[in-house]
Amino acid sequence: MRSFEYAFRQGGASLWRSRGSSAFAVLAIALALIVLGALLIVTWNAERLIARWTAAAEFSVYLRDDATSEQRGAIEMAIDQSGVAAGREFVSKAEALTRFRREFAELAELTSGFDENPFPASIEVRIRPGAGHDNAEDVVKRLVAMPGVADARYDRDWLARVGAGLGTVRAAGLALALLMAVAAAVTVATVVRLGLRARRDELEIMELVGAPLVFIRGPFVAEGFLQGGIGALLAIGSLWVGFLVAMAWWGPDLNSLLDGQSVQFLPIRLCFYLILGGMVVGSAGGLVAARDAL
Amino acid sequence: MIETHHLSKVYSRGLYALRDLTLAIDKAEFVFLTGPSGAGKSTFLRLLLLQERPSEGEVFVNGQNLATLNRREIQEYRRGIGFIFQDFKLIPSRTVLENISFVPEVLGVPAAQQRRRAFQVLKWVGLQHRMNAYPDDLSGGEQQRIAIARALVNDPVLVIADEPTGNLDPDLSLEIMNLLREINAGGTTVLVATHDRELIRLVGRRTITLDQGKIVEVA
Repeated sequence: MRSFEYAFRQGGASLWRSRGSSAFAVLAIALALIVLGALLIVTWNAERLIARWTAAAEFSVYLRDDATSEQRGAIEMAIDQSGVAAGREFVSKAEALTRFRREFAELAELTSGFDENPFPASIEVRIRPGAGHDNAEDVVKRLVAMPGVADARYDRDWLARVGAGLGTVRAAGLALALLMAVAAAVTVATVVRLGLRARRDELEIMELVGAPLVFIRGPFVAEGFLQGGIGALLAIGSLWVGFLVAMAWWGPDLNSLLDGQSVQFLPIRLCFYLILGGMVVGSAGGLVAARDAL
Repeated sequence: MIETHHLSKVYSRGLYALRDLTLAIDKAEFVFLTGPSGAGKSTFLRLLLLQERPSEGEVFVNGQNLATLNRREIQEYRRGIGFIFQDFKLIPSRTVLENISFVPEVLGVPAAQQRRRAFQVLKWVGLQHRMNAYPDDLSGGEQQRIAIARALVNDPVLVIADEPTGNLDPDLSLEIMNLLREINAGGTTVLVATHDRELIRLVGRRTITLDQGKIVEVA
């Protein structure tokens, strides 16, 4: 406990003494965490959107124009017994046309040149939460093969593609943040090493009087830890200010991008991980430098 | 207290700093180690402080073979030794009292005990009135007395001094030697490396003379 207290007292004093050069290390850590934090804000909100879309997933079964009421009844029974449906709604040809004209008003005149209504009747099926992507896909395949069915469309595939794309973005961002974190750790090590050179006599005396290793190296690790912590807090503060500015300027646009959901800042748990990450990066840099102390 | 058997230290290109040194220093003895520059005095002290390892032979201090000590045992061993250098090696950013209490501080001694012990030894060297001064505000003689106080703060069984009067005038040198004699009178073994023959004559203790790494005289 005494060594812990000594390490942080000396590490803090060294940080203050070399505050000019320490600012570089703090900024390097803050930059790495700002990149990572910004990425997390984007992916965190995108994941919420995907989760919402996934929860509201549905598929549509389009009926042939010549489908009989018996065939339609058999299709509806197959849907009800499939175990994946939370509900279903029949949309007649006339309703489909009305809906198109309402939702795509600027294209409405395109539908006026036809002798017959070109839109097929359909059954829209809301998928039960937790039904499973593979199960739903199997049901859709079975339904397509039934008499009276013209086609079926399951919107989960593109959601999976968006999810995969998001994963790629996240992996690339993490790789970039990791690279920046390594650079930050190297900066911390360099700055801490400068302080170490200035305290060469002190370290020699410590070594000669038989000071435990934790007293000799501890202050350098503590200095890195503090730099990392300050850098992380700076990063979170900057992200918060950036978030508020972005929301003030583009809030409504961003919210509409998210299908009406409000864009959210990082949850407390992720902020805590960011701070912890900064401290780990700083401590790693301090530890690398501390190995030169003896 | 100190025994060496056929101790040698060879640097690169086969240069011997010490060659086949066999000697013994008793407990509570005051011994001078002398010789011209490059005779091997400092190398011998560095071997005693385990800053270097011998190339051949063995060193025993207080019955411990220094070659067998691991890192933790080296730390433990060094806690029983006080050291004094020609250039004092005081920390300029710390006050006199902090320079002395620094030793018990980094050994994990509680704060109140650190300051009490530091003040005791500071009083012993007669500089308690300079406790809040910084090393740069002190004369050379005062700085060396602080270094001696620091060497004593941990109650060592052995005090090693490497040219402790090298930067001081003759009067101050004798003053420092008197302090070392007092330490020795308390039962602490004192080993002083110096090339000052006049000082050795004035103090009048056993003297081991080295030349080119070998013992050439014991008087």
